[in-house]
Amino acid sequence: MATLESLPRPNGGVTPWKVRSRSVSIIIVLASAIPAAITFGIQKALQVPGPIALLLIFLPIQLVSSWIAAAATRGRRGIADASLNVVVLFATTFVSIMLGSVLYSVINWGLKAISPHFIYQNNVYVTTTTSLDYGGAGHALLGSFLVVGLATVVAVPLGIAVAVYLTETRGRFRSPVRFFAQAMSGLPSIVSGLFIYAVFMASGISRPAGWLASAALVLLMLPTIIRMSEEVLKLVPGDLRSAALALGAPQRRAFFLVIFPAAKTGLITAILLGLARVVGETAPLLVTTRVNANTNVNPFSGDISTLPTYIFSYLTAGFDTGNARAWAAALMLLSVVAMIFAATRMLSNQK
Amino acid sequence: MDVQASNLTTSLLDRESHLEARNIHVWFKERHVLSDVSLQFPANSVTALIGPSGCGKSTFLRTLNRMHELIPGAGLAGTIYLDNEDIYAPGVDPVSIRLRVGMVFQKPNPFPTMTIKGNVLAGLRLSNRRTRDENELVESCLNRASIWNEVKDRLDAPAGSLSGGQQQRLCIARSLALAPDILLMDEPCSALDPGSTRRIEETIRELSADMTVVIVTHNMQQAQRVSDQTAFFLAEEGQPGHVVEFGNTDNLFSAPNDPRTEDYVNGRFG
Ligand SMILES: Nc1ncnc2c1ncn2[C@@H]1O[C@H](COP(=O)(O)OP(=O)(O)OP(=O)(O)O)[C@@H](O)[C@H]1O
Ligand SMILES: [Mg+2]
Repeated sequence: MATLESLPRPNGGVTPWKVRSRSVSIIIVLASAIPAAITFGIQKALQVPGPIALLLIFLPIQLVSSWIAAAATRGRRGIADASLNVVVLFATTFVSIMLGSVLYSVINWGLKAISPHFIYQNNVYVTTTTSLDYGGAGHALLGSFLVVGLATVVAVPLGIAVAVYLTETRGRFRSPVRFFAQAMSGLPSIVSGLFIYAVFMASGISRPAGWLASAALVLLMLPTIIRMSEEVLKLVPGDLRSAALALGAPQRRAFFLVIFPAAKTGLITAILLGLARVVGETAPLLVTTRVNANTNVNPFSGDISTLPTYIFSYLTAGFDTGNARAWAAALMLLSVVAMIFAATRMLSNQK
Repeated sequence: MDVQASNLTTSLLDRESHLEARNIHVWFKERHVLSDVSLQFPANSVTALIGPSGCGKSTFLRTLNRMHELIPGAGLAGTIYLDNEDIYAPGVDPVSIRLRVGMVFQKPNPFPTMTIKGNVLAGLRLSNRRTRDENELVESCLNRASIWNEVKDRLDAPAGSLSGGQQQRLCIARSLALAPDILLMDEPCSALDPGSTRRIEETIRELSADMTVVIVTHNMQQAQRVSDQTAFFLAEEGQPGHVVEFGNTDNLFSAPNDPRTEDYVNGRFG
């Protein structure tokens, strides 16, 4: 019998559906270049603000030009597709630019003040006249880790336990609990802070301290963790539960040996999203903690700075180096959030 | 641990379990889906359950190992005796019943997070038992499920990397590893090619030497090849499913008592 030799894939040329004729390519280039040029011209002549020019001048012209191009290349059927493509691409680009400019300003301003020592030094001896070469937000970064870490340590087991109650048991209170968790996810963060304030501070139990902030964050994290974990656990096919139980597994072993491993990466994602929900929270921290220029490693007593409260206090202080320090800390906070999301992405991609 | 291991081996030797269903009725919510099913499964027999789709064969099978009660809204009347003991009696642990009455599902459902080998041993791990020689158990179970040759070089590959038919045979191997007294099989061959089907049928015949087998099948030839007795289920328009005829397989196929059985086994309806 003759053996078949496998051929290496040639470079290009094996995607015949992508080949375009020269005239079509020219039409496509013209259809995108002409509206851009017209918009640019009108905007220069009339001095309309950029976003308005994009919406009211560019979008209509681009739509018409894409209709003409579509009619010329694909006939009538192409026109509807072309409109959809233009609107979707336009909206995506518009949103990307808006989000991108937030990112850009944080990075741009932040980079001006940030330096290695800013990341680890604290705020002692920093005054309005201190140069940016001294002092930093290291104590606030540490404070954020302590406060958020403590909140996570409490909220994760509780949240996952509730999600397991909702998905793995036939408990009678499942629907009220589920409803309650959903309603709680709309809890304004300042209310969570005020609640902790009323219970622990107004009553004289504790002075402002890191753990009070953690408690407020727990209230904010729980609904996210519960709902996400519930969704993740629900995604585990019922067939697997049946298979485990039919093999004579007690429910506890079926959960730990079959359901939990199947849901593991999803649960970690749920935790990270819960984290991302609260790392940047400011309001409850303003109510429950007081900023501290010095480093405080004890979240259970004393004043403690966190990145959000550090930013807030410098923004409201109103002097130039103060603003710069706030931007630098904002850049640190944004980087932490970015790292959390990168971790989430990496985990949900590995299978 | 050793006690448990020896329990496993002794149960391999003396297994004379018989099963009996008496006047079983099933409801889902308010809907009556099975009516008055009474069947006996003598030790070491192979029983085929046949009947059109939706007549309650899978449902009946699930009542035999107490998987039925896991379905929300499920209801049951009647009694199931396993070696003359009522498996639904108060105080009976459903886990102990499911260990003795194994089940192969209609759809293959291997554990995707475990390896092929891990799947075969999953029953032992899930019920917290040990065996003396894991490798030997894995090989013999995979062999009896006629999949050993296909997977012997990749026992540590994830179970999800197998084809649908291979997964089904892996599930059969997984049930065999627990050495159940009774094995319930819900259309085990519906995803298999003719070669694997033939080997599974041989396996069923061999298994009946030391366990009692109940198999649901849509394949009349298969029912005739593997089973000693056959029950024909039917759910007529708007009525709950019930057993039309139950008896020796050869009689049921060659000289059915009921005209509906005759029509069904000759492919005239359903
Ligand atoms: N979980 C459930 N909830 C409600 N009704 C159900 C459920 N499972 C099965 N039923 C109903 O019970 C009846 C019997 O279903 P069953 O799955 O036992 O049929 P079957 O004989 O196994 O069919 P098939 O040959 O297609 O597998 C059907 O009418 C079905 O709609
Ligand atoms: Mg079925």
